Amino acid sequence: MNKKSKYLISILSLTIIAIFFEIFYLSSFKSLKQTQIDEKLSLLKVTALPDLAISTEAMYIRHRSLADTFSIFKESPELREYFPSTFVYSHSHIFSNTPSKVINEK
Amino acid sequence: MKSKINLYLIEYAINSILRQKFKNIFILFIFILLTSILASIFFISNSIKYELNSTLKALPQITVQKLKAGRHYDINTNVVDEIINIAGVTDAIPRVWGYYYFANLGANFSIIGIDEYENQYKTSLNKIIKEFDFSKALENNSMIVGEGVKKALNENYYNEYFNFIKPDGTFKKVNIAGVFKSSLELESNDTILLPKELALEIFGMDDSKATDIVVKVANPEEIPTVANKIKLLYPDTRVITNKDLEISYQNIFDYKGGIFLAVFIVAIFTFFIIVYDKASGLSSEEKREIGVLKALGWKIEDVLKEKFYESFIISFFGYIFGVLIALTFVYVFNAPLLSNLFSGYSELKTSFQLPFVLDVNTLFLLFFLTVPIYIASTIIPSWRSATIETDKVLR
Repeated sequence: MNKKSKYLISILSLTIIAIFFEIFYLSSFKSLKQTQIDEKLSLLKVTALPDLAISTEAMYIRHRSLADTFSIFKESPELREYFPSTFVYSHSHIFSNTPSKVINEK
Repeated sequence: MKSKINLYLIEYAINSILRQKFKNIFILFIFILLTSILASIFFISNSIKYELNSTLKALPQITVQKLKAGRHYDINTNVVDEIINIAGVTDAIPRVWGYYYFANLGANFSIIGIDEYENQYKTSLNKIIKEFDFSKALENNSMIVGEGVKKALNENYYNEYFNFIKPDGTFKKVNIAGVFKSSLELESNDTILLPKELALEIFGMDDSKATDIVVKVANPEEIPTVANKIKLLYPDTRVITNKDLEISYQNIFDYKGGIFLAVFIVAIFTFFIIVYDKASGLSSEEKREIGVLKALGWKIEDVLKEKFYESFIISFFGYIFGVLIALTFVYVFNAPLLSNLFSGYSELKTSFQLPFVLDVNTLFLLFFLTVPIYIASTIIPSWRSATIETDKVLR
């Protein structure tokens, strides 16, 4: 075996070890622990409301699965992307045409 | 026939890769980029899905909403007595909840009123709040808020209390007594939890009214039957079962998943174009090399083996590095930029940690979409030129 193949095999084994190490590290430190799941379950027991608190701009996108029968459909059945919270990034705060909103921008 | 890994062929393959350093580094780079982007996207969506599905069990089995003029309307609490009498129903709880639009921020808070005297809440509440005794919440006029609400109120100089504006225009001062644990941010970021009486007052609702009714059924098999019975008893209601909630979750993911699918398709197409370009023919130099090797006495088999090693080294390295980068990017650095695809932009933004789930299916899918295709795209044209007569190739 020459030098190059030795390097190759050692790099390969190093990366494979790195992957296993990282998976081990993540599953022991970054995964949801049972206590956290229990906490989530007890929160839901109290509130009994579904959906994640990701979008909060309008009623029908928070607790979307409990929204009014027609609340989404009066806008559009497939929820078109016109609402800031479904966009990836915030709109420009330098120039704003909507004075009622976004007053306390940093 | 005994087949052993031929080390000399591997050495030759390494040398051959290094001979065309820049081309191969470029291919490796593209490979790593592709696999890491795809893997990160899959990891993010899997984590959020996992987060939602892990709490799906705790959701109410049936939710009964009253509809009036096609809109959600307050339901009478005396309905509860009749629903409890339905066979199979263990409990029916009238619930008061709703949204409070905080105009300074342009965001909705979810206000949830609970019965502070009910025992079932006490143990649950102790688990999820940092430090607070909810039993005197009504006397103290106090509420528990999510991390996002707390932050938003602080920014607006409400450090200890908040003035809710009631529907009749008067203020209702409510003290902030506790904050939800930050590990629950994804569920409770915009939540305000207070005693039912306070919630009724803030919403300007009658004592005999509730927002909706949560029904608990002992046997999960009976949920559709009970739902049908409620629907027959009260034709003016909308009955939502936990199955419906599950379907609506799926819809949300299908909708956002569409964006991912678009990215995925673009990436795969790019990859296929590269592969097609490689498969449509070897450069004359490579053909010449194969010809020389054959003239030196290599069998077709040896040439193909060497080409296999060559492409396997590149693609396998690309794959492994891609997965490694994706794991680090998503779970160690919390996927900056990419996670915004899912969470979007919002005034009350959650800063959640993506929980790690090892998704073997995704890893296999990525592997079989990239590595074998790349190997095939190298081997097939080599096989084509290796089977041509040597003197023809060399000439």
